[in-house]
Amino acid sequence: MERDLDNANPTILNVSQLPSRRRTGPAARHGPDSKCDSIVYPKHHWPYGASSSSDEGEDDAEDPVDAQDVYDLISTISDPEHPHTLGQLSVVRLPDIHLTPTPAELPDPDSLVTVLVELTPTINHCSLATVIGLAVRCRLEHTLPPNYRVDVRMKAGSHAQDDQVSKQLGDKERVAAALENDTLQRMVDKMLETCA
Amino acid sequence: MSTPPPPAPAGPAAAASQPSNPTITITPLPPFQPDLYQRAWSSTPHPTLPLLATAHAKSVTVFSLATFTKHSALTGGHARSVRTAAWQPPRGTQSKRLGLVTGSFDATAGLWSFDGDKDRDGNGGLEREVRMGDRDTEDGDGGEEEREWEFNLVLEGHENEVKSLAFSPGGQYLATSSRDKSVWIWEDVSNPTGDNDGEDDDEWETVAVLSEHDGDVKAVAWCPTHLANARAGVGRKHYSVEVLASASYDDTVRIWREDADGEWVCVAVLEGHGGTVWGLQWEGKERDDGRFPRLMTFSADGTIKVWTLRVDEEETEEGQQEGDPFRSGFGGMPNTMRRSLREEWDCTAVLPKVHTRDVYSVSWSADTGLVASTGSDGVVAVYAEKESAPEDVSMASSGAENGGAGPKSTWKVLGTVSHAHGPYEVNHITWCKRFDPGAERKGKEEMLVTTGDDGVVRPWQVRIA
Repeated sequence: MERDLDNANPTILNVSQLPSRRRTGPAARHGPDSKCDSIVYPKHHWPYGASSSSDEGEDDAEDPVDAQDVYDLISTISDPEHPHTLGQLSVVRLPDIHLTPTPAELPDPDSLVTVLVELTPTINHCSLATVIGLAVRCRLEHTLPPNYRVDVRMKAGSHAQDDQVSKQLGDKERVAAALENDTLQRMVDKMLETCA
Repeated sequence: MSTPPPPAPAGPAAAASQPSNPTITITPLPPFQPDLYQRAWSSTPHPTLPLLATAHAKSVTVFSLATFTKHSALTGGHARSVRTAAWQPPRGTQSKRLGLVTGSFDATAGLWSFDGDKDRDGNGGLEREVRMGDRDTEDGDGGEEEREWEFNLVLEGHENEVKSLAFSPGGQYLATSSRDKSVWIWEDVSNPTGDNDGEDDDEWETVAVLSEHDGDVKAVAWCPTHLANARAGVGRKHYSVEVLASASYDDTVRIWREDADGEWVCVAVLEGHGGTVWGLQWEGKERDDGRFPRLMTFSADGTIKVWTLRVDEEETEEGQQEGDPFRSGFGGMPNTMRRSLREEWDCTAVLPKVHTRDVYSVSWSADTGLVASTGSDGVVAVYAEKESAPEDVSMASSGAENGGAGPKSTWKVLGTVSHAHGPYEVNHITWCKRFDPGAERKGKEEMLVTTGDDGVVRPWQVRIA
């Protein structure tokens, strides 16, 4: 059984077992840069009322984001201590991603969409849960349009201090400050290197 | 700048103000220029001058409220983001020096000064500085930048990010709060006359470190002591007049006062929010019933609450019999008794719920008593307190019916604006005097200013029908 802070033998799913729509994910529609700077210093300016993807002139504005898209964005994030992705380790699971309301039902492009991602760390006292959550929040806030509000939580019972970790990850000020911490920023950058 | 200019001010956001409520109209005015193109945290208006200090990234941009353009900038003082800024109350009557203090994620607070009289003769130097903003057109990075802010002093002591700071009303004390769960109180021990042009004489001492919170202290605020009613209250025999309130990640609010021994003690813990308390606002408008100013708190739980100091008739009489004015006789009282000098604060109102996510900012106008709120959902809401019915007033005078807290007040929403900053979160809102040419009563009329993740600082005209 698991001992210490690290999980020596996590269950690893084969890439072919992962949920997929068998096409390239939506990551390509976004900028190539996967750094987190945009959370600390959002650089893009979205003019009022303009459709959020209009600046790229791509036609997938007609194709609203769904749970699979969100899964594709974050399942490729690397685990900070194993040479596998969060999808392979089942830290990120498709049924634990919820979008409300469904983006297709939005009355106008500025209306909010809440993305709730519940994470299941590989063991219940994983000391790196906060870092994983930070990377997931970082990845989604950078790639999703600005009307998406990202809530990253630990799945109930999955982590010894799940409420505490969830509260930290929900605190915008703490997240912003964490990403100005060079050590944390480097860890997150490294985890995001495997994202398309 | 390669980014396209912002759209005309009357965009879809304007149309979003609620037509259903005819009592108020909230109309966007042209945003402050230049656009900051990065998350801006807060915008603090100067108490008297037409200036607004906006904290963003590692700097502060000061805007002119007369022209809605950049006046000056504070850069190079902090290694990480500046979260907040506060204007220093003027020291001495003839000092034309502007003072601003910045709180940063680099765990320090910085004290800055801007000499409005430098290279100027006679009076009105500051007014002229402000007017120079007229010529300082487009992106403000031009030749007007010689007028710089000087970084005078760094206040070090906190272990982690400084999140909030506030000067006491007279400027004697500065409170800072941090993720390290503490509040520090600093006292100004500079040359009080402000002679020597106020150069290089800034000196501050730590007088207290308050560490009773169990989480980040998100905000601190001093009670406005200039009001007559702020001097009444339970503790007036035992404590000095200054009252500090702090809001925390531990979901509580604490009230702090200085006792006769010069010790800052927690006199009340306000519990009731179901999430981080993002901040607090004291009632700045004097109350007709002479009661102590109330406190408004707002939270990640999406609610805004009003708290009232309970006035216990017996305790007041006891204090009168004791007859000792502050700082005489009380110092010898044993600690056990001192601990009993707690204040009781009751939640006497919850504002109608508008926000669906964290409420990041609330502003309670000292002029009109109106309240404005904003937050993660990008909604701006304005509220008014309903006039209390006659029977409520009689209850207030008896003070007995609900534990001496006075009548429960009720509030109504006057109007809301959705998507105030498009799809972005709005981090801050403040009432602010108007000095722009469009104002009907310059220097008196109030507008709202919102500060968002989009780097836009937007003024809003508020007209009450």
